[in-house]
Amino acid sequence: MVTAAPASTAAARSKKPWLRNSYPYLFISPFYLTFVLFGLVPIIFSIVVSTFDWRGVRPGDFIGLQNYITLFKEPNFYKALSNTVYIWLGTVPVMILLALVFAVLLNSKFVRWRSLFRTVYFLPVVTSLIITGLIFGMLFSTSYGLVNNFLVRLGFAPIQWLSDPRFMKLILVIAILWRWTGNDMVIMLAGLQSIPPEMYEAARVDGANEVQNFWYITIPLMLPVILFDLIISTIGTFNLFEEPYALFGGPDGGVRGSALVTGLYLYSNAFVNARFGFGSSIAWVLAVIIFSLSMLQLKLGSRKAQ
Amino acid sequence: MTALSNTPSSPVPARLPLFPHLKRRVNLTMVMLALIVIGFAFLLPFYWMIISSLRPLSEWYARPIPLFLNNPSPSNYVQLFQRADFARGALNTVILCFFTVTTQVFFCSLAGYTFAKLRFKGREGLFIFILGTMMIPSGVGMIPNFIIMSRLHWIDTYLPLIIPGIANAFGIFWMRQYCQSIPEELLDAARIDGCDEFGIFWRIVIPIIQPALASLAIFTFLGTWNDFTGPLVFLRSPDKFTIQLWLSVVSRQANLFQPHLVMAGSVLSSIPIIILFASLQRYFMAGLTAGSLK
Repeated sequence: MVTAAPASTAAARSKKPWLRNSYPYLFISPFYLTFVLFGLVPIIFSIVVSTFDWRGVRPGDFIGLQNYITLFKEPNFYKALSNTVYIWLGTVPVMILLALVFAVLLNSKFVRWRSLFRTVYFLPVVTSLIITGLIFGMLFSTSYGLVNNFLVRLGFAPIQWLSDPRFMKLILVIAILWRWTGNDMVIMLAGLQSIPPEMYEAARVDGANEVQNFWYITIPLMLPVILFDLIISTIGTFNLFEEPYALFGGPDGGVRGSALVTGLYLYSNAFVNARFGFGSSIAWVLAVIIFSLSMLQLKLGSRKAQ
Repeated sequence: MTALSNTPSSPVPARLPLFPHLKRRVNLTMVMLALIVIGFAFLLPFYWMIISSLRPLSEWYARPIPLFLNNPSPSNYVQLFQRADFARGALNTVILCFFTVTTQVFFCSLAGYTFAKLRFKGREGLFIFILGTMMIPSGVGMIPNFIIMSRLHWIDTYLPLIIPGIANAFGIFWMRQYCQSIPEELLDAARIDGCDEFGIFWRIVIPIIQPALASLAIFTFLGTWNDFTGPLVFLRSPDKFTIQLWLSVVSRQANLFQPHLVMAGSVLSSIPIIILFASLQRYFMAGLTAGSLK
């Protein structure tokens, strides 16, 4: 047996070179198999589904573009869109700015305890999104919350942060900033570390100060990284789902749907109401919006870089 | 604040401020103060979660609710451990993580190694295709995926949470980067000894890429442990729920008072993640930035 084994592989090699040549394809095939079945087919299939009155697992009637027409007449869709834009405005610009400032400071050799600060600022990023929602629900709880504790001690009446439409989106914004700023910060830190130190040396010789360094070296060289952060944060905002789900106890966006964002809207139509056809049309409209926004940001970003 | 005195011995600046060192020191002190305050702001939610988890049920009715604990008690944790559904959720999550981690580490490293070290027709094109799939919006396929899973009778099993990701683009990219540093001579020597291609991967490659396997295992574990949407969409029976799903379901039972249990459960489910993160921080951050910078 022992001597036969190498002989048989040698025979296999000379007789069936196609077998030996096919090894690499065999090794990489799991990706393509799973991608076709669970990536490509569903995407193409979802265009088809979106043209049917498809409720539950069984297909219904072909209705052409009716799902899209219904969607564009649906007031809740515009509500979800405008809430999402609100969340975007409240989070993304602030997050990008904070992440950049944190990254610059925690990359500066004048600042002490840099790795400790990095760890602390990054810690929320490993926390689950559900727990993020639950913790902020507890912080801003009317009766058990830390924030209302302070208010009451200072002589104010407690505020119903999580059921007052004036505050609900704001709480969501704060939770998102807490959870995601560290994520953008680490990406920016990696970007900063790839800037050659000689650039700053040369600027220092020319008499530039820290602020000038920041505006004339850091910002222009970091523009591609900032752009990357901007695009992933924008995509993340339109897919926002788990944090508001946990914070407002389900997919309907809390009191009067004040925190109904596009991710929740898609989920509740698709999986709570089992309207697969209508849900697919929402998914496609959102994908087009996300794609256009990403392209717009890329265009604006590359124009600025010139 | 001794570090503040290590101001750099910079060459003479163009304009000399009146007290250059004093100004820099004041600025640095301000920056440090700001960083510390922000650090506390980042930690505050964790503080409140832990405090709430150690607050015995009798103290939840005090108004305003105390900022500090007069008598911290493990009673919430004790109560939590007595609930079979929590233990079941924890066990389910561990089992699910075991399957996603082992399958992803195996198939991603096999494909990553193949792209890095084997020569075959169409290699570059096939790899670029994999990178390209990372840009596809996955949300669009969610509903058809559900339909496919239900036709396969996979709803309410862990298969939809395991199989689609066994060989994912990020894992293959990650393993390929690392495998490129394997010395060619090692593989050639094994080939001359008559080792077949899979034998080379299993006996030679796997042992030397262990650091990369470990970091991929961590990312996969973190992703599965914290995932909520997947289990929410595909799981039905409560005895199959994961920890995240359990937390969400229990927190939504408005007729029962159980925020103390939810907070204790949140702390417990964060502990493995925080331990992993604290001990392997470098890998975490490296993986996060791998996709962003070419």
